Amino acid sequence: MAETDVHGMSDGQELPDPHLDTSRLRQAPAKYQGLRMFMRNKAAVFGAVLLIAILFITFILPIFVTGDRTERVGSIHLAPGAEGSTTFGTDYLGRDVGRIVMQGGSATLKVAGLAALVIVVVGTTIGAVAGYYGGWVDNVLMRITEFFQVLPGLLFAIVIVALYGASTKSIVLAIGLIAWPTIARLVRAEFMRQKNLEYVKAARAIGASDARIIFKTILPNTMPVVIVQSTLVMGGAILFEAGLAFLGLSNPKDLSWGFYIGANRTYFLSNWWGLTFPGLMIFFTVLSLSLIGDGLQDAANPKLRGR
Amino acid sequence: MKQIAVRILQAFGLVLAVIVLNFMLVHLAPGDAVDALAGTAGEMSPETTERLRAQYGLDEPVTTQLVTYIGNVLQGDLGVSIGNNNRPVTEMIAERLWPTVLLSITALSFAILVGVFVGTLAARRPESGFSHFTTVFALVGFAMPAFWTGYLLLIVFSAKLGWLPVSGMEDLRFRGGWFAQQWDVAKHLFLPALALGLIYIAAYSRLSRASMLEVLESDYVRTARAKGLGERSVLFKHALRNGVIPIVTVMGLQFGAILSGAILVETVFSWPGVGRLAFEAVVERDTNVLLGVLFLVSLAVIIANFLTDLLYRFIDPRIRVSGSANG
Amino acid sequence: MGSRNWRSLLAAVLTLSLFAVACGGSDDTTEAADTTEAADTTDSEEVDEPAAASEPEPEFVEEAGGDFLLRPENVPTDDQRGGVVVVGYAGAIPHTNGAVSSGYAVNTVGPQVNASLLRYNDDYQPVPYLADTWTIADDGLSVTLELNAEARFHDGEDVTCTDVDFSIKTSQANHPFKPMFAPVTGVDGGDTKSCVVNLSQPHPALLIAFSPGLLPIIPEHIFNDGQEMKTHPRNSTDVIGAGPFKLVEFDGSEVVRFEANDDFFLPGLPYLDELIFDLGLDPATVTLGLETGEFDIAAGDGAHGGQVVVDALEDPNLRVSDKGFEAIGSIPWIQLNLRDEVLSDVRVRQALAYAIDKEAYNDVIAVGLNNTAQCGPIQRNSPYYNPDGKCYDFDLEKAQALMDEAGYSDGFSLTMNQSQANVPTMELIAEMWAKIGVTVEISLDADFPDWIAKTVGEGTEFDATWTTLWNWGDPVIGVNRSYNCDNRVAGVAFSNMSWYCNEEVDSLLNDAGLEFDDAKRAELYYSAADIINEEVPVIYLSNQVWYTRMQKSLQNSPESIWGFMDSWAEMWVDE
Repeated sequence: MAETDVHGMSDGQELPDPHLDTSRLRQAPAKYQGLRMFMRNKAAVFGAVLLIAILFITFILPIFVTGDRTERVGSIHLAPGAEGSTTFGTDYLGRDVGRIVMQGGSATLKVAGLAALVIVVVGTTIGAVAGYYGGWVDNVLMRITEFFQVLPGLLFAIVIVALYGASTKSIVLAIGLIAWPTIARLVRAEFMRQKNLEYVKAARAIGASDARIIFKTILPNTMPVVIVQSTLVMGGAILFEAGLAFLGLSNPKDLSWGFYIGANRTYFLSNWWGLTFPGLMIFFTVLSLSLIGDGLQDAANPKLRGR
Repeated sequence: MKQIAVRILQAFGLVLAVIVLNFMLVHLAPGDAVDALAGTAGEMSPETTERLRAQYGLDEPVTTQLVTYIGNVLQGDLGVSIGNNNRPVTEMIAERLWPTVLLSITALSFAILVGVFVGTLAARRPESGFSHFTTVFALVGFAMPAFWTGYLLLIVFSAKLGWLPVSGMEDLRFRGGWFAQQWDVAKHLFLPALALGLIYIAAYSRLSRASMLEVLESDYVRTARAKGLGERSVLFKHALRNGVIPIVTVMGLQFGAILSGAILVETVFSWPGVGRLAFEAVVERDTNVLLGVLFLVSLAVIIANFLTDLLYRFIDPRIRVSGSANG
Repeated sequence: MGSRNWRSLLAAVLTLSLFAVACGGSDDTTEAADTTEAADTTDSEEVDEPAAASEPEPEFVEEAGGDFLLRPENVPTDDQRGGVVVVGYAGAIPHTNGAVSSGYAVNTVGPQVNASLLRYNDDYQPVPYLADTWTIADDGLSVTLELNAEARFHDGEDVTCTDVDFSIKTSQANHPFKPMFAPVTGVDGGDTKSCVVNLSQPHPALLIAFSPGLLPIIPEHIFNDGQEMKTHPRNSTDVIGAGPFKLVEFDGSEVVRFEANDDFFLPGLPYLDELIFDLGLDPATVTLGLETGEFDIAAGDGAHGGQVVVDALEDPNLRVSDKGFEAIGSIPWIQLNLRDEVLSDVRVRQALAYAIDKEAYNDVIAVGLNNTAQCGPIQRNSPYYNPDGKCYDFDLEKAQALMDEAGYSDGFSLTMNQSQANVPTMELIAEMWAKIGVTVEISLDADFPDWIAKTVGEGTEFDATWTTLWNWGDPVIGVNRSYNCDNRVAGVAFSNMSWYCNEEVDSLLNDAGLEFDDAKRAELYYSAADIINEEVPVIYLSNQVWYTRMQKSLQNSPESIWGFMDSWAEMWVDE
């Protein structure tokens, strides 16, 4: 039951199912590995460059572009490059689409980053404890995990955000609540595998406490899995936030990408740019994170390279 | 058998827990269905408000309401919709369930068919351009927000080309035979299923590619090849049968999630599904309808998980629930 | 049509009924001089709509293309009759019973299934509907109605005075517009068709309250079973009315389907076979569906207007109408909460009013679709509108001076709340007020109940909100509610949400509601408006023209003074 909740759905392939014997997936034709690694890295490098560009556009560029994004710069619904228009056109109020889309990512990335943090911290902790102790602790924690996994993803988030108000807090909470089980299960599996390895036994032998073994000894060794998963969780959280915002469940002042698509959709027949540019930004951001995640996965776990 | 009994018991406990959480979540939020009703009617006297609250038991303590609700649900009674003049919730959901199931199943089967086919072909030559294309395609499909894709599809296929209808599940003024009617539904289904399926096509092509890569290296495939069977036969008959196991698993697990996830696509295409029903219920604070949908979708996830579990044991007896994948 | 033209027409019609009463009591013929031919009938005790007055009453029903038609000049041939019309609407429809709700959606589908006592033509003249004749008593304390002999509900039961009585009582108990029937003490006549509506005081607004969107006549034998009327199951399932269409399918968030009522009491109507409302659509889908021909007409455009209308103007298959809804008098405004400490200062409110560039508001929000200026609480099509009222023309200097005077040179911040659909409006207002240092925090309401909770809840949670209020034909129905001291009630939408109170305004509005003399009535409204304008509990943004997009083939589209909230029996499609 490993699911990344994305679009309120799961992208099952990103994570091996715990029932799935992944060791059987680890053989790949050796003669292609070099070439594949190159290809992979190129894609990952491209992803990294893309992400840096997006972060630059979102956080750095606005400092140099003067003027308020809410300012009306021309007539309404002017196409990109039309007379009196801007490079990316104007919207239903005559504001510059480019300027709004440029900054629209800050809220989305903030929410997604916070959500990913919550997911990773909660998921890792619970997964680590469950995996390390096993037995009834594991049983109880896994029942709890299962409980959160049967909640109907996006729908559940909508209920929380709609009923309790669309604030950064409620959105982060909603995304966090739904998405942590995936990472918990992964970390748990990793802990179960590693806890009987020699280096852990050695640590135990010199009298290290459980907490020390969990957080100082095993956890660093599971970090590759966690980091890879974090990029995917982050991508999922961005899509999730965009979906909520599209339905109007976000702070309107942020003018986040998803929200802006929702606001512009009424005019999409005559104003394609208001809808297309924020969508492209979401697309490229998630794509860059996926590419990085893929690359990291290869680097962290060369055995999986064959996939 | 004992393990299955335990699983059933656990599933039951899970259902109860879900009901309790949903109930508390909705009832502890400010405002209730009667407030909403007063809103849509434009006005309501305090006396009427009191009377209605009493009629629907909303004036009782939350815990009492919860016990009553659980009792009713166990008897298969999900209550009535306050916002829709006391229509039974089961009836309302029943009407909307089929469109969502139809959309989800179509999107999922479409995604699996295309995904597995493409993934299998890619696995045959892992370094080919085609193979790399599927990798990129998978990432691209995953990265596009489904609601955005929906609008792009609408612009192209409905607005510009005029090939496909814009909204809903059927042409409301349609008159014709049974087959023509199915065709009409199919035309309406195409774009939403495509928007929803794109993410999954991507997912399944990657999954099946990985799974097939491994299977193709296995002994029995080598044996089959050694026996001189044609490549196509090896690929689609022998290898696929085994490579499909993880796909079945993921499919079962995704079904519940896709039910709730369809809400964005349902919104864009005005598809009359449960997702939109639930969203409307949130807006109208129609508590019973909202709880009903949340409950049924959770139930669907639990059942799907349970069945997948059974199926998996059946297919591969080596797997044990308590065991870990890597352990 | 110019507003002056409208004014005289409106004056003629509204005064028609009033004069009958006034002249019945004490004739004051000097007043009649400045009204049109309506005055000619004032010496007759019985007032019909003028054309019918000279005809023997029982006959006009049988006349082909009789007086009950609003569009007698556009009747389809036998070949053209029939057909299906599909309406695209982004909203949902909770039920069909307009006796318990003032909602736009309810009162758009309601008049299709339910009939009302009267309809109104383009000249604001009442037209016979369920009531063949209506006679106002000399003392103004009763109105006699003669119901159509053929009028039956869909289940075959006769429409009688019992139903009229029950409908008015239902409205009194459940409809938000209390002043509509407040003076009605009861309806005599029982199971006959000759009814007498008794009043406790003369009530000039009564006849307009007999309109389709205000008082549907609902069957007493169905509804009088002790169940709560607001949630009565028969409001939406198995609905029985006396209207031109029968309800065959009702799913308020998906589809509402009507078929022609073959036994409709007006001969030859309705022209259509079927009428379908496609609901819960994405607003973008409505536009696209009109373009592809999936929908014949879009409902609820008035609320959006703007760019979609401009786009439709360029489509060769579509027609855009700016007619309909005139009686509604739709005024978008900014509601200010006077309980807020800063906003309790009248100078601050005036400053905020001066800082709004109403022209820019119309250019941007209405895409320059000649929405007209609105200066004062009464809509500008009304004879009681004072065109010389204080307008708060855009003036940043005055605004800043008032801010300085009030001690807010550095500005202040306030929150403004509304739903997602109104984000553009709020964004625009925020941009305008920023220029006098007022920072607007936009707060999105999840839903309508949320808006109500914030705006008319117990506390003083909101500072400002954007909303649109309707005049509903007569100030008594649609204007007083926003300013009366005793309408400061928590929990009631569209009550006195600003928490404004001025006893002088109260007494002026009250006196005007009882005044039959039109000039005197106007005078009273002018005075009330002057005070309200000075004290700015709300900032009027425009008088909204409602646009409707439809296929060119659609004939007799809903363009009466009530717009969509009227019977669509005369609609047909020219294939």
